[in-house]
Amino acid sequence: MQSTTEHLAIASVPVQQFGDLYDEDSALKNGTVFRQLDLPFFAAESVPAPERGAQDMLRDPARQDQENDLLKIQKVSFVLDDLRLFLDTHPKDREALEMMKNVSICRKKLLKEYAARYYPLTADCMAELFEHEQGEACFCWQKGPAPWEGVCV
Amino acid sequence: MWMYEKRLQFPVKITKTCPRTAQLIISQYGGPDGELSASMRYLAQRYTMPLKEVGGLLTDIGTEELAHMEMICAMVYQLTKNLTVEQAKAAGFDAYYIDHTTGLWPQAASAMPFTAKEFQSKGDAITDLTENLAAEQKARTVYDNLLRMIPDPEIREPLKFLRAREIVHFQRFGEALEKTKEKLNEKNYYYFNPEFDKEMLKREPLPMETAGIR
Repeated sequence: MQSTTEHLAIASVPVQQFGDLYDEDSALKNGTVFRQLDLPFFAAESVPAPERGAQDMLRDPARQDQENDLLKIQKVSFVLDDLRLFLDTHPKDREALEMMKNVSICRKKLLKEYAARYYPLTADCMAELFEHEQGEACFCWQKGPAPWEGVCV
Repeated sequence: MWMYEKRLQFPVKITKTCPRTAQLIISQYGGPDGELSASMRYLAQRYTMPLKEVGGLLTDIGTEELAHMEMICAMVYQLTKNLTVEQAKAAGFDAYYIDHTTGLWPQAASAMPFTAKEFQSKGDAITDLTENLAAEQKARTVYDNLLRMIPDPEIREPLKFLRAREIVHFQRFGEALEKTKEKLNEKNYYYFNPEFDKEMLKREPLPMETAGIR
């Protein structure tokens, strides 16, 4: 894409180059996988992040395992969300495409494991359960807490 | 077609009831620069975009905005889940309580109801993409303002995430605008409306048009 900054009376935004990526933990925390686009607000930096430790100790360990596994899916899926938007405007970027390929495969695997262990997050996960346990005739779509419930108090 | 995935894009785990904070955050549900507005704006604009890939980007960002709306609603819900009438009164949440109890309803912090008057779908790619650049900045400012006022880390983490997304979306809309400009008359970007005067868009010549040309 050529630079069009020489034109008057129209907005111009430089086109991003792929690279300088966060790992999936930092990506979800910072709201982007691209370090160059992580531009925090000064007033957001003064308070430390919540201390999950003490509060989580008191809770049911089984529920905690489930939440950690869900967090893994959230991290991987978010990397995919951010990559998808990048590829929408950079469809020929081979590096980004290669990464999307790997992350997609990883997400599929995690979704499958989560469905087998807890409950399905998508209709396709439910179909997979039906395929593998053909004897079972349970409607598991409503299993698990509602996504908006957050912490069980 | 949309499919539901039973999870939030980013975890929301708020342990304290705080109707006053809910009253502020609800603006990003039904307020002028809220996530519902963002989603409806992009999902409305995409049909007539002259570049297919820009329509695709609008679909993907519009879809992500729906997930952001769900996060905001989860925050408002958790902040008012165990609300007592006394807490509602003390926090100035009583007017909302009278109209909606603790149900979710899209309104601004100022109690103005959600309305389509807050966004445009103008049928001109340059105009709409420029509106979207501004929309992302307006939403970022709301998150800045919320982050100045809300000290609780449980609430700040998802707000910081949502703020960061506004900046990424701004970058992508900027790139979509650059792509659109490439198809226009570079001497005068305003010579025609690329969404209406489609025949004037620069396009790749069809194979049959170039077959005889050496």
